[in-house]
Amino acid sequence: MEQKDDIFYIEKIKNGQTQYYSYIVEKYKDVVFSIALKVLRNREDAEEIAQESFIKAYKSLHTFKGKAKFSTWLYRITYNNCISEVRKRKMYFASTDDIDVKDDDSDFNLDGLPEENREKYLKAALDKLPEDEYTLILLYYFEEQSIEEICKVTRLTESNTKVKLHRARKKLYTILNDMLKEEIYTIL
Amino acid sequence: MKTFEEDKKLKSLLKTIPLESPGANFSVNVMNRIFSKESLLEKVKRERVLGKGFWVILILFVALFSAMFIFSSGGGGTGGGLSEYIPAINTNTVTQEYQNFFERIGSVPLSIAGILLASSILVFVERFLSSKIKTFQNHA
Repeated sequence: MEQKDDIFYIEKIKNGQTQYYSYIVEKYKDVVFSIALKVLRNREDAEEIAQESFIKAYKSLHTFKGKAKFSTWLYRITYNNCISEVRKRKMYFASTDDIDVKDDDSDFNLDGLPEENREKYLKAALDKLPEDEYTLILLYYFEEQSIEEICKVTRLTESNTKVKLHRARKKLYTILNDMLKEEIYTIL
Repeated sequence: MKTFEEDKKLKSLLKTIPLESPGANFSVNVMNRIFSKESLLEKVKRERVLGKGFWVILILFVALFSAMFIFSSGGGGTGGGLSEYIPAINTNTVTQEYQNFFERIGSVPLSIAGILLASSILVFVERFLSSKIKTFQNHA
């Protein structure tokens, strides 16, 4: 349904009714901004890149044939924009090896998270994830994109995406586990 | 199986977390940037690349060049003057005149240079005057 809505508005935009693009911007701004913020680590820069991504998508809208989901196409533009910006500024991605992933953490029970602080814990854990893994989690869990669609956004191979996603999930559990342990220690 | 269940749980939990949002004017800013770019594009499309002045100068240039060609043909040896030139049109004459034309061009480099210089000055004057008119209109 959502994809149908997108196509309906995109057709209108392509026919010169530019004002309908605000619907697209409004719908996807949070995801686009979240990706940019995670990569660039600065709200102002992220906002600028997010705006540029939308403008770039608008300019290339005539090349969008509707074979893939519009969101996949837009996220790919955003992700590429962010990567180019990082390269331009000679910034570096956060190291993915600074969190020690333990196998037993995959048995982590989400029910163990205190209900009243679940959101706080999950948000903090997501913040600690490196940019690439955060993007995978965001696309897979928040946006419910398929592995195939994620491959199109990140340009990773299918097997690589699966491995990375598995690793990102494990890392998320490890972070949550460590946070809970820390919390218990502080209480004691 | 446990992984699948945990995955589903993680998905539903993560979906409860609000994503980061940009500033309140984000959408308005994007749309403004798009509209301003579009109006700029429209302006460029509307504005003719070659102004009226250019065509006037081009006509003057062609007229000058033709006049130079016609009136200097008297010294070329194949009959001079406009009245002699028109009845003489046949294939041989055209070929001959064609060759003479290039010979004359080669023999009068200074005239051509003068015409080019004059037309450059005219182009400059046209640009200068049009910019002055625009400034005057903006101030008015």
